[in-house]
Amino acid sequence: MRRTWIIFKKEIKDSLRDRRTILMMVVMPLLLVPAIIGGIFWIQTSIMEKAEAELSRITFIGRTQAPELYAMFEEDDRFTLIADVPLDSITVMIEQEELHGAVIVALDFPHVIGKDQQGKIEIVYKESDALETAEMRMAEVIEKYDSVLVYERITRLNLDEELFDAIAIEKKDIASVKEKLGKIAGGWLPYLFIIFGFMGAMYPGLDLGAGEKERGTLETILSSPASRLEIVLGKFLVVMLAGVITALIAMFGLYFAVQRFPEIPPEILEVILDMLGLKMVFLILTLIFPICAFFSAVILSLSIYAKSFKEAQSIVTPLSIAIIFPAVIGTLPGIELNLVTALVPILNVSLATKDMLAGTINPVYLMEVYISLALLAGLSLWVCVKMFDREETLFRS
Amino acid sequence: MIKVDHLIKEFKLNRRQRREMGEAFKKARAITAVNDISFECTPGKIFGLLGPNGAGKTTTLRMIATMLKPTAGNVIVAGYEVNKEPQKVRENIGFMTGQTALYDRLTPNEMVKYIADLHGMDSAVMKRRRDQIFTLLDMHDFAKRRIGRLSSGMKQKTSIARNIIHDPDIMVFDEPTSGLDVMTSRAIIDLIHSCKEQGKTVIFSTHRMGEVKLICDDIAIIHKGKLFFNGALEKFEAQMIHSSFEDEFIHMVEEA
Repeated sequence: MRRTWIIFKKEIKDSLRDRRTILMMVVMPLLLVPAIIGGIFWIQTSIMEKAEAELSRITFIGRTQAPELYAMFEEDDRFTLIADVPLDSITVMIEQEELHGAVIVALDFPHVIGKDQQGKIEIVYKESDALETAEMRMAEVIEKYDSVLVYERITRLNLDEELFDAIAIEKKDIASVKEKLGKIAGGWLPYLFIIFGFMGAMYPGLDLGAGEKERGTLETILSSPASRLEIVLGKFLVVMLAGVITALIAMFGLYFAVQRFPEIPPEILEVILDMLGLKMVFLILTLIFPICAFFSAVILSLSIYAKSFKEAQSIVTPLSIAIIFPAVIGTLPGIELNLVTALVPILNVSLATKDMLAGTINPVYLMEVYISLALLAGLSLWVCVKMFDREETLFRS
Repeated sequence: MIKVDHLIKEFKLNRRQRREMGEAFKKARAITAVNDISFECTPGKIFGLLGPNGAGKTTTLRMIATMLKPTAGNVIVAGYEVNKEPQKVRENIGFMTGQTALYDRLTPNEMVKYIADLHGMDSAVMKRRRDQIFTLLDMHDFAKRRIGRLSSGMKQKTSIARNIIHDPDIMVFDEPTSGLDVMTSRAIIDLIHSCKEQGKTVIFSTHRMGEVKLICDDIAIIHKGKLFFNGALEKFEAQMIHSSFEDEFIHMVEEA
């Protein structure tokens, strides 16, 4: 295995001098992850701020029927009341966004309320309105008015308030913040390192297989005393390392990014930083290594099969989309790590990470994940070695 | 010493290849690239393997260098059988093609060291030999520059250096001058001559008849995988019907 080490050292040096590898391995995850996280936070915050700052332009029909409610709307500085809007123009005006909503009090409202019956108030709005602010605001004011009316009735009739509140629900959520966030973060964190692990392994994988064929250097190495197994192992280790490092850099990029955004509440930030702590990174690494080994062996096999770098690229690039599917399935609610899902490659990594972050990992399933990943990595490496041993593959033309 | 004994190489054909090769190969399972050839290359002599494109020259040389496994027959290189001890064979050969086959992102220094390391050379011995070769080929000025930035002449020198760093007993040249300019071709021819002077076994393939006359001691002519002549160059010249070497070669190929 001395020659494997020599090949490994040479390929590392060669790959690190390749700008494309560095771009994929270091620059992309370091810039892309903070940019994505930052972008999402920025867009979310700015939309919310904008929606909150914007006044809701509404019209109130039926001022005479419900003067107290009208007064409540008038006093609320989140609304601009537009007067004299004909009833039949409301829909058109909301459609054309001249109005955000309308409150229409039924004509018999004072009459039915006076008889302690249920009065009707209609609110009109367009649901596609950003964050539905107008609808929420109108409903909130009307509910407040409803409480006033109910309280007045209870007091007048000398009734007990509890009569109208037969059941008091007391919610007691025993899930810790870590657990809740783990389930959410568990969705995208593995997604992040699975994709970057693959992308990081892709360029060195293409270069060390098809690139070597294209440059004619394959004959140089094949005519050296190194055996095919030593050559494949040397190359495979470099490709795998590139994948692992890229995944780790992506996680570092995330660690760096989350600390730069003041929008994240401190208690949530603390949990996120805890997730990216040394212990958790070590645990996640135990999943990154085998999955990157699997990716590397697959990429290297296809790369050595291809006649040229271009052909290898056209075979391997669509795979990056294929690996996203199991990773996405892992983010869906209701998909849990069990005896079956623990055997599905990529999906098992995604689900295991989710449970690891939440601190609810089942050791039996985790062991199953490790064993299945190790077997898969071993099998794909065996295929890769066989591919490298096939004359039809090496000298395919 | 290289001893090629009844060597046969067949390549399996897949459906696409059968279709592409036309009616004649429609039902063929395999194509015979090298068909029962035998010859011997002796130390201190230059052996020329001649034949037109597709004759089976590269396949033969790749079997000698253990890159391809023979379907039948045997090759003994420096006393080792290619089928039984391929690694020992590779330890004793230098394999050079028309392509420089170098890593662009390494320097000549690193490239030569890489090959020497793979051959398990002692560091001090390697440095001494590398210095000698670099001086001989006048390579010191660009030894630390990336190969990708070197001129084709500099690259060819680097390619020569990496092929001889481990001082192999056997040198295999697969159309080494193909596509090269006159100056670079001359450097390769000089290398082949110097290998002969050092008593090495040299086999080289070509389809350039001029080169054969210039440097070969023994020749083998192959066409469509079959051996048509094997022996000393003088013997071939003595039995020539045509006045020119080239005409004789074309005649032989056309007659086949």
